[in-house]
Amino acid sequence: MLKNNNLKICRRLIMRDIKFHRVQYILLSVSVALVCMLYTISLCLGNLTYDGFMYSYKIMYGSESHILFYDLTSSQAAGIKNHRSVKNAVSLSAIGVLSDEMLGNRSVKLAVVSPGWAKETDAVPMQGRMPEKQNEIALDELTMNSLAIPREPGAEVSLRWTPADGGGERMDTFILCGFWENRMGLTETCAWVTEETAQAFCGGTPEKLALGVTLYRPAGLEKQGAEILSDLGIQDIPFTTSLAFNDARQEHAGITAMRFYRMNLIVMLCGILMLYHIVRLSAAQDVRFYGRIKSLGMTPRQLRVLWVERASLLSLFGVLPGWLSGFLLCAVLAPHVVVGMEENPALCFFRLSPFPVSGILTFLTTGIACSLPMRTVTGKTPVEAMKFVEKEGAGSRRGRRRRTSLFLMALSGLSRQRGRSLPGTLSLLLALCILCCIWMQGASYDQEKYLEGMALFDYLIADASAEASIQRYNPKSRSITEEIYEALASHPAVTGIGAVRTMEVPMYADEKGRAQILATFEEADENGTARKEYMADNPDWMAGYEKMRKDGEYIGIVAGVGGLTLEKAMARNIFIEGSFSAELFGTGKYVIAAGSSSPVLKTTPPAGSRVVIEGREFEIMASVPYEESMISGADSREAEFNVTYYMPEEVFEELFPDHGIRNVGINIDQNSQKEFEQFLDSQLQGTGASVVSVSDYQWVFRNSVFHNCMIPLFVGSVMLMIGILNFGNVLARGVLVRKKEFAVYESLGMTKRQIRRLLLLEGALYLGSMLLILIPATAVITWLWGRWWLANTNTWCVTWHYSLMPLWISIPILAALVLLVPLYFLNVVTRESVTERMRVI
Amino acid sequence: MDIITVHNLKKYYGDRGKEPVVKALDGVNLAIEQGRFTAITGASGSGKTTLLNMMGGLDVPTGGEVIVDGVNLSSLREEELAVFRRKKVGIIFQNYNLVPTLTVEENILFPLDLDGSAPDMRIFREITELLGLTDQMERCPDMLSGGQKQRVAIARALVTKPAVILADEPTGNLDSRNSQNVAGLLKMTTEMYHHTLVMVTHNPELAQMADRVVRMQDGRIVESPDTPC
Repeated sequence: MLKNNNLKICRRLIMRDIKFHRVQYILLSVSVALVCMLYTISLCLGNLTYDGFMYSYKIMYGSESHILFYDLTSSQAAGIKNHRSVKNAVSLSAIGVLSDEMLGNRSVKLAVVSPGWAKETDAVPMQGRMPEKQNEIALDELTMNSLAIPREPGAEVSLRWTPADGGGERMDTFILCGFWENRMGLTETCAWVTEETAQAFCGGTPEKLALGVTLYRPAGLEKQGAEILSDLGIQDIPFTTSLAFNDARQEHAGITAMRFYRMNLIVMLCGILMLYHIVRLSAAQDVRFYGRIKSLGMTPRQLRVLWVERASLLSLFGVLPGWLSGFLLCAVLAPHVVVGMEENPALCFFRLSPFPVSGILTFLTTGIACSLPMRTVTGKTPVEAMKFVEKEGAGSRRGRRRRTSLFLMALSGLSRQRGRSLPGTLSLLLALCILCCIWMQGASYDQEKYLEGMALFDYLIADASAEASIQRYNPKSRSITEEIYEALASHPAVTGIGAVRTMEVPMYADEKGRAQILATFEEADENGTARKEYMADNPDWMAGYEKMRKDGEYIGIVAGVGGLTLEKAMARNIFIEGSFSAELFGTGKYVIAAGSSSPVLKTTPPAGSRVVIEGREFEIMASVPYEESMISGADSREAEFNVTYYMPEEVFEELFPDHGIRNVGINIDQNSQKEFEQFLDSQLQGTGASVVSVSDYQWVFRNSVFHNCMIPLFVGSVMLMIGILNFGNVLARGVLVRKKEFAVYESLGMTKRQIRRLLLLEGALYLGSMLLILIPATAVITWLWGRWWLANTNTWCVTWHYSLMPLWISIPILAALVLLVPLYFLNVVTRESVTERMRVI
Repeated sequence: MDIITVHNLKKYYGDRGKEPVVKALDGVNLAIEQGRFTAITGASGSGKTTLLNMMGGLDVPTGGEVIVDGVNLSSLREEELAVFRRKKVGIIFQNYNLVPTLTVEENILFPLDLDGSAPDMRIFREITELLGLTDQMERCPDMLSGGQKQRVAIARALVTKPAVILADEPTGNLDSRNSQNVAGLLKMTTEMYHHTLVMVTHNPELAQMADRVVRMQDGRIVESPDTPC
């Protein structure tokens, strides 16, 4: 009996429904597209956050390989290459390691060209080429900067290196044939030479090899590495595993990405609410329609197919624009989520997987939202379904009989809607609270304060050897020449300029000076921990400190400052001891001591005491906090524990003649910014010197604020949209469900104009009553939250800024809805004659 | 031979645990012979429409049973009941219940489309010609007059060649001229196709056209002559 169930009829009914209810379907399709867009954004952002972490871990590890095995013989390497778990392998034959002290903690292996290894470690020359002839060498730019090697292919390069076979350190001259920018290999990289060069230096390629291995299954790398070695019976071979596949790091990346994936739950909830509110507009009508076709013999199965097809078609309409807009928006947001990449992370980490997933989630959301009439009809007999009417609340009852006025009717209409307007009011309140709080938080982040602390100058130029914090500054580097400095100083846009030259100098602290420094570091802080204990994980600092404690010897960083740099070093006007006199400082008999960046701790010899620098005695005029943002790069490991002494640049040049410039600070007339930047680029082109501008800090600041506020802003915006939609829905339903009631009014002589006025009055009363709750509640909640946040935030660059901007923006939108929605829907319902409307059940 | 048998049929509305608020049907017994035109009359609220809905499987009784063409409706599941309605019964509603998004032709063929079975085009043409609908096939219901709509509803009820046609106040929304026309058409077509017609009406003139008139009051049958009027 049940065999004859034609399901094609469902498609026809849906297509006709779309034709007859275009506005509703357009509204639904746009909402579905919006939902799909939100899913796509959150999934894409989650994925690229995860991939961004993986990428950074690979950079930290320095290789794309999963496992790096070291100290292998060629037969052992062949055994690993052929192991069943190994997909492919690249080998490296290092003849030694560069041992120039200017490389600091970086390890640069002198190795025979290995194209596979170079590819895996992103160590392929971008300028010039790989070595092809004897004595040719290819280097990375960081190494070249640290060793003050000019970027000139064909130039002779003298390098100090230690052979791997245990021979003593040696100095050899090579011909630079190519170099590359360091994207990977910041702490460890290779300097490539030919096999002939290796032959010439070591009498052949070394016996020991390193092998980078890519596995079929990149999971449990430690275990797999040990298994490979165990299978080959060479368990003693050392190996390291990629940080990108480390369980703990993957977990951390997963947790961070989860913030975005979790948004999907909110999107689903909000999406269901949003679509539900649209579906609900015609829910009673749909229920009656379903009852009608049920009475004609439509089976529950056919009704279910009708529902699924409706959801599928809506998803089909919405998914493609949702995917496109979601991906485009993701591409806009991506550089703020994964920072520091040249390419757009959305393109760089593009994956297809978010698209089908967002499509499925969109379909589920649409299906759930569209199931309202279906769920209502289920379990109802056709008769019950055909008679279905939504229950209206009871109007307010007045104690004594009065003449009816439009205002009283509107008041009664409002009280009938009170049950339905409550969820709308609550969702608006929640959305506005979230948005106002986050708006206030965003507005309270103080860019001026941040820039004051971070960017002392409009532009800070750093020598090529002092660009990165892992680089040790090389005083022999001359990427910022005197000519460049002079040219910059004479540019008409420059309003202030100053250079910083530094030198590490062995110094001695007398009893008084030593006692002051020791007292600070040995003393327990408010947590009961001796301050020096906080440096326990820095053995170089601890060694320097112990040396000073025992012998009084330490490394002083002497910094020659003048002009703008001197001005900025003193600009904070915080003196831990002593005071500053420009006149006395200019005599060249005084220095300013700077220890830690703390404005209260005494980590230098006391003001008034004397120090000897390069044989000349100076008096410490004052002790100030160390200005971190004035000097870039790192110093030697021995100087981890140090005291900085600022002295006039003329005195520095007398003591250390022919010394390079480490940093230059420049302020300009902002009107000439573009012109000056072009000039700056032309001056520094090819030198390796780097520039950080105040606009870079502004970008970082804005990006951080955006990053902090993005998710709550997103959630709040979606909720606000739902709230507004719900508000519009209540207004629309206030007309649609009273189709018959208005027909009765009209039949009793009420004009359409009066009905319009009645609806506008109802809307105004509804808005007014909502605002009576929304404004004070939002204002109080935002204020309380703001005070709490300000008291508990760890961010130093905040200033209390109370704002209810999202609320003020929302009110005109709500008011516009009050004006437009009831009138539009009144026009829709009054298209039918009074008699037709009065016949409606 | 009886095509519809109703035994002790009850339909109560209200809280089951307490005294029922409304007894729409209170122990109705009725047998309807095949091929005959039966009119059910009575005042508003007497239970006529409820009884018709029970016969069409549109509503579930509180007690008792309805047997149509040998099928006990209370033994059918919801899915089976829908197929039963589509195959065995043609229902004509007072408010027509046409699908507004379908054309006249599609509305008439809708029960067959639900079933997936091919229409008997000879019968279809015959019925539409008889009801004067041949020129209206491509029109949508909202472009038709009340009388035309009801004729479409009659055609829809007839096209499946059902065992029983149930008409609930089919002329309730029509003027007297249209009412006579529609009732005449109904009687004529059911006689032509040998259908059993059960019509609820409170129009005495229309009831006079029936072979048998059953009168209801307060959920009970108060007059049910076995012989034709």
